[in-house]
Amino acid sequence: MATARNGLRRPNDPPVLILTSLASGPKHGHALAKDIEEFAGVALGPGTLYGAITRLEERGLIEPLGSDDRRRPYRITAAGAGALADVLADMQRLAAVGTSRLGPLAGRLA
Amino acid sequence: MNAATPDRSGLLKWYPSRWRERYGEEMAAVMEDFLDGRPPSRRFRASIAWAGLRERGHETGLFGDSGPAGARLRAACLLVLCAWSAFVVAGASFAKIAENFDLAVPAHARALAADSWYTVSLGAVVAGTFVLVGAAMAMPAFVRFLRSGGWPSVRGHVVRAASSSIVAVAAASGLVALAHTLTPAERNGALLYHPVVWYYLVAFIATALVVGVSLALWTAAAVATASRIVLPEGVVSAEAVLALAVAGGMVLMTAATALWWGAIGSSAAWYLQGVRPGSPASAVSTNLAATMALMVLACAVASYGVVRILRSWSELRLA
Repeated sequence: MATARNGLRRPNDPPVLILTSLASGPKHGHALAKDIEEFAGVALGPGTLYGAITRLEERGLIEPLGSDDRRRPYRITAAGAGALADVLADMQRLAAVGTSRLGPLAGRLA
Repeated sequence: MNAATPDRSGLLKWYPSRWRERYGEEMAAVMEDFLDGRPPSRRFRASIAWAGLRERGHETGLFGDSGPAGARLRAACLLVLCAWSAFVVAGASFAKIAENFDLAVPAHARALAADSWYTVSLGAVVAGTFVLVGAAMAMPAFVRFLRSGGWPSVRGHVVRAASSSIVAVAAASGLVALAHTLTPAERNGALLYHPVVWYYLVAFIATALVVGVSLALWTAAAVATASRIVLPEGVVSAEAVLALAVAGGMVLMTAATALWWGAIGSSAAWYLQGVRPGSPASAVSTNLAATMALMVLACAVASYGVVRILRSWSELRLA
């Protein structure tokens, strides 16, 4: 599976959350953490955040932008956007199957 | 920047130096943003320490799949070597606990225990031989490493290990001399009211500690050297096969030790407690439990190494 090859597995995986956050534009570490907490309700600490940033940069899925500040922003690369699209498609397929199967069950349980 | 800032509280020291060079400044800034002027809590420190250690694991190839598969394969082999070193300590402890059990326990009660003991002994010889073969296979690369001026980078490790070995040999010689003045029962901890038995016990524990430290230092020297030398691909693969065999041997020996414990515990528990033959006694031995725990821990570490070896291998085959 393409998503597993890129180290992206579950929706609440820090790499998936970071890529999703960067899809709306470049951000530095703390801004990423705040955005992720806002849209996913997941609080990433600095250790987890930078561990995931390191792995994503190694895989070429994100890249740093030049900055005079110590707070260096990152942006998603084309490969990162592709990997995110793959994992989101997987999630959509899973959500569709789950929803279609839950419908009749929810009716029986009601 | 005040005294509570992450830079000064040394939190980044948990990370490998290469990582700090790349991300250190950014990470310090992010930590300042998270802390917002507050001193780092214990939980915060622990999370950074854990993340830093994980990063070290990634860099050495022990965690994750970000590094080259070949480097991860080598790191996994070295992990099995470290597990083997811990297992040797546990094995030495078992050898001491089981010392002369065949003389102390009646024949009808020792058949299964004897088979288990021989399995452990044979396993130790075979696995130890595999470790030596692995070291011998790495020797040509080690010689090339020395000839290319690599000695200064490992000198400290080797000197520390060699110094500890001298102390360990001296301590072991003194212990053997003292042991020859005691009966087997006294050596196994019986007659604790006798002062010389206490001296022996203290000398035994001190010697075991020195030998354990020496073994750990030699392992650290081997790991430091092995991570610097350039091994041909075929040698790394052969080392991986040996590592798998050693890990398998460790599991077999742990099972045999458990069997020995069960056999002695059910037929001659008094032996485990160092009391008079035939006396009612508990089969629960603290020393043996600690020994088994160390064996199981070493097996768990080796198993993790085995999983990493197999995963790296399959990736190398696919590549």
